[in-house]
Amino acid sequence: MDRWFLIAATALAAVAGVRGLLILRHGDKSRWTVWWMIAALVCQMGYLVIRGEMRGACPLRSIGEISVYLAWSLTLFYLLVGPMYRISLLGVFTAPLVVLFQGFALLPGRLAANPERILNTNPWGETHSAMSVLAYGALALAAVAGVMFLVLDRQLKEHHLKSGLFRNLPPVRELLVSLERLLWIGMILLTFGLLAGLLMPHGDGAWAHLIAAVSVWAGYVAMMAVKRIRGITGRRFALGAVALFVLSLGVFAFI
Amino acid sequence: MEIACLGLNHKTAPVEVRERFAVGSTRLGEAARNLLETAGAAEGVVVSTCNRTEFYLAAEHAGEAVRRLEQGLADKVCGHDGLYYHHESAQAVRHLCKVVSGLDSMLLGETEIFGQVKQAYHAAHEAGTTGPILNRLFQKVFGVGKKVRTQTTIQEGSTSIGNVAVELAEKIFGHLKNSEVMVLGAGEMSRLTAKALVSRGAKSVIVANRTHERALELAAEMNGRAVRFDDWLPVLKDVDVVISSTGAPHTVIHAKDIESVRRARKFRPLFLIDIAVPRDIEHAVGEIEEVYLYDIDALEQLADEARARRSLQIAECEKIIEAELVKLLP
Repeated sequence: MDRWFLIAATALAAVAGVRGLLILRHGDKSRWTVWWMIAALVCQMGYLVIRGEMRGACPLRSIGEISVYLAWSLTLFYLLVGPMYRISLLGVFTAPLVVLFQGFALLPGRLAANPERILNTNPWGETHSAMSVLAYGALALAAVAGVMFLVLDRQLKEHHLKSGLFRNLPPVRELLVSLERLLWIGMILLTFGLLAGLLMPHGDGAWAHLIAAVSVWAGYVAMMAVKRIRGITGRRFALGAVALFVLSLGVFAFI
Repeated sequence: MEIACLGLNHKTAPVEVRERFAVGSTRLGEAARNLLETAGAAEGVVVSTCNRTEFYLAAEHAGEAVRRLEQGLADKVCGHDGLYYHHESAQAVRHLCKVVSGLDSMLLGETEIFGQVKQAYHAAHEAGTTGPILNRLFQKVFGVGKKVRTQTTIQEGSTSIGNVAVELAEKIFGHLKNSEVMVLGAGEMSRLTAKALVSRGAKSVIVANRTHERALELAAEMNGRAVRFDDWLPVLKDVDVVISSTGAPHTVIHAKDIESVRRARKFRPLFLIDIAVPRDIEHAVGEIEEVYLYDIDALEQLADEARARRSLQIAECEKIIEAELVKLLP
């Protein structure tokens, strides 16, 4: 049953992305994207509830489960930030990433049909996992806003202003403000996640994971400090958000 | 009862004739009453803008009413021939639909005409010169005008340099209420562009000109402040948009100038509009990451493209009008 919810969520996000792109090609606004994404979020939550019941804990024990949780977090932050800042196009950019993460989880062998039930859960460990992946959702959305900025910046610089995409992209300043706020939210959540991680009992391999996570966190802190104190061009800020997020994915995938 | 329209516009009459026919917005009702008297019509509306004056009437014999109207207007024509266009029945309705949709305007797709025709109709209605025929006609035509504008892109894109600059500024900064504008060189083009930005809410305007008195005048007009021309560089750290049109024979803003204030600006986006010929801003300035540089050719090209895009919409608009005319006309 959990898999069906996940398939439905992936299909809904795919519809949101494809439909949004088609509408965008005609130069119109994708007003329905947010509703498709709400439906996807509902299905994601259906998956998480069932999977959580099966595990008897937060479903963050395999790379597949982490990918789905990340996709849920990304969708959640889009729905919180997108309509609030009237950034309807953010959904069109977010949906493909949600499809990518969930599609990865749906690959054979990524999600066990009968996952092992966790008997002895540790609250610090649960908090670490949940907060960290939630943080990466916000950071993923910041990366999406960064890509949108880079697209708009290039179009403005090269005077290519005819496309429907250009007409529908939010202003440069709004994108930069959203990007900065998302990075702050992500960093605060990641800080809590890391503190919980330091307090949880550690196995042999956990230190490498924590060191990698602290390095990513330090990267974000450094970038935000430069932005606050010295200032940074929009392009470098956006590139930094994208690069650090890609780097952070490595923490999940390889360490 | 028949409907007819007699009019002249920028295509048929030179400005010295159009200005003789022009009716101020406060006198439109009175003009409509004169129209009924002169033409012997039952109902009448006078539409008057800077580019057109049109008389819409409903009469038992519209052809005769128009003839009487032409005779009544003879003293304003002063020997010019072929000034008028004259439409009756379906043609008159089709023409009015095109007018309210901006298809007959000098600036294709402009939106102001819709409000101007509405104002003319309301003035006539208040003056008691409209009846069941013209009331129904104008109400239906306003619906057609709205449909054309919502279902096509006839009004999209900016077709003047000032509006292109505003559109770009809004694409960079969103609402302009937090944006400061600096004008270098107080010429007419920079005045118009700055005015367009101020009309869209720009926070403040700073003017620098070689003749300081002229800078003071323009600053006063824009509710802004003037600075000496030699002092424009320190001001640059606070502004978001620079409009440059100095008339200098050499470049005025160089890459090293922008480089010198980048840190102080914390690398915030900067929109530079160079409407001078020869250009005021060194080409290399556009290569600085946070700078968006547009010269007069780039702005003109964008305005041309918008005009071309609007032209491509004409057939679509006419299709909507024809479909609505079928419903409108018995």
